[in-house]
Amino acid sequence: MIRDITIGQYFFGKSFIHKMDARMKILISLFFIILIFLCKNFFSLGLVAAFTVFILSISKIPFKLILKSLKPIIIIVVFTAFLNLFYTKGGKTLYEFWVFEITLKGVYSAIFMAVRIICLVAGTSLLTYTTTPTSLTNAIESLLSPLKRLHVDVHTFAMMMTLALRFIPTLIEEIDRIMSAQKARGADLESGGLVKRARALIPIFIPLFVSAFRRAYELAYAMECRCYNGGKGRTSMKKMHFTYRDGVAFAVIALLTAGIFILNFNIRAVI
Amino acid sequence: MSSEPIIRTENLTHLYSEGLSSEVAAIHNINIEIMQGEILAIIGHTGSGKSTLIQHFNGLLKPSTGRVFVDGKDIWESKQATRESRFKVGLCFQYPEYQLFEESVYKDIAFGPKNMGLDENETGIRVRRAAAFVGVDDDMLERSPFDLSGGEKRRVAIAGVMAMEPKVLVLDEPTSGLDPRGRDMVLDLIGNYRRQTGNTVILVSHSMEDVARLATKVLVMNDSQIAMCGSVEQVYSQGTLLYEMGLNVPQITRIFMGLRSHGIDVNDGVFTVEQGRNEIARLLKSRGVQK
Repeated sequence: MIRDITIGQYFFGKSFIHKMDARMKILISLFFIILIFLCKNFFSLGLVAAFTVFILSISKIPFKLILKSLKPIIIIVVFTAFLNLFYTKGGKTLYEFWVFEITLKGVYSAIFMAVRIICLVAGTSLLTYTTTPTSLTNAIESLLSPLKRLHVDVHTFAMMMTLALRFIPTLIEEIDRIMSAQKARGADLESGGLVKRARALIPIFIPLFVSAFRRAYELAYAMECRCYNGGKGRTSMKKMHFTYRDGVAFAVIALLTAGIFILNFNIRAVI
Repeated sequence: MSSEPIIRTENLTHLYSEGLSSEVAAIHNINIEIMQGEILAIIGHTGSGKSTLIQHFNGLLKPSTGRVFVDGKDIWESKQATRESRFKVGLCFQYPEYQLFEESVYKDIAFGPKNMGLDENETGIRVRRAAAFVGVDDDMLERSPFDLSGGEKRRVAIAGVMAMEPKVLVLDEPTSGLDPRGRDMVLDLIGNYRRQTGNTVILVSHSMEDVARLATKVLVMNDSQIAMCGSVEQVYSQGTLLYEMGLNVPQITRIFMGLRSHGIDVNDGVFTVEQGRNEIARLLKSRGVQK
């Protein structure tokens, strides 16, 4: 169901990862994405997978919840795996029928891709799971602050991003409600061809846009009432500090990177 | 009234987050029979399972266990039966004005009938009939639903469900967020609709006053279960019990209970202002106050 989408949600906790500096978490998340794509063989990918499991477990986010968040990407994972299964040629032929041929290399690359996507999503979604929207904005603002010299309005940009993240769950709930209401009037969202299905979305999206605009106005008024006038001269009550935790995290990531490089290139030497 | 209930549930249970540690029963083991022509009011505090219950009547939610019968037919028996239940039981959600989307009021009310596969002619008849029930005139039918006032939007949205001419009309908090005049109008139209069509109406409400005005039967939900079920008099006379469930009897009833505890000989089975007025008039007369 649509409510299963958990991207962008924050889950309260007091783990090591929750307490890390949000700026560090953002940088590590970005670097983590790069690392995943640097993996060239099963050894280095295995290391990344183990690392993903490790950070997920120390974040103390319930395992079932993480599985739930992976549900929407199952189709992408399966689709990618299938493409790789059939289109990668090489190695021993395992199975053959009509024009299809499944080779050992195909199987490997299918598994490789699936693991890669799962690690990517599970690892990076941890950022929003463990960071409150407020500290996320502050962190984005702080990280982008060098751009202020180029007259980029960093504060507004960061605020917009946070608000967007904040409203994902709200809008999902809204869609859910509107869908139920239109279904109660006999709207059929599940059958028919592409055109009919696209048309069936009109009764969902028009009320959704109307309510999104309404919410935007309300939010703007509420912000104005609290004297919000942009980032100029704005100071924060809670300053962000790097602590020993961020040092530890940095060291762990450095080790992970080294490990990946070693396993990528010098696998024979290690064994 | 026919003897066969129009809606019947059998050990109906619905679990949220089934299989997870956070699993909760939103409704638990509900057995009810709703008869043709009743105005059934469902009351209960927030989170007592009212909304979950009504979404089972037209197959929007699937029971975790148990069965739902509409017109004697299990609505989960086939896909066809589920779809039929959508039109037999017209469900109007809370704040239904947020579901309006068409360019004219007419088209919006016609959305339901069109989904039923009715032709242009029949749709037109039903739209006008539903519009008449809610007091929407021909002039308003051509306007954009987004230009209407809050109360008007609410009535148009209710007409959108009525136009399907369901055997059972379910309204979730139809008066919430309306001003007193809008509220009276909506309550009157529900009463009129029931009188003229003889159809069953199910009303979910927080307002004990609204319920007292309309309902022929009251169902009280508490902790996902049915706590009480009976006539308005039967239920409202359990003041303390209702209070423990986070509910309260109407203000006017409390006044009469107060009068009685002060030794004034009034009947405390008073649930609407009108009944209250009559009771006071009776009392004054019996004391010979006829100045």
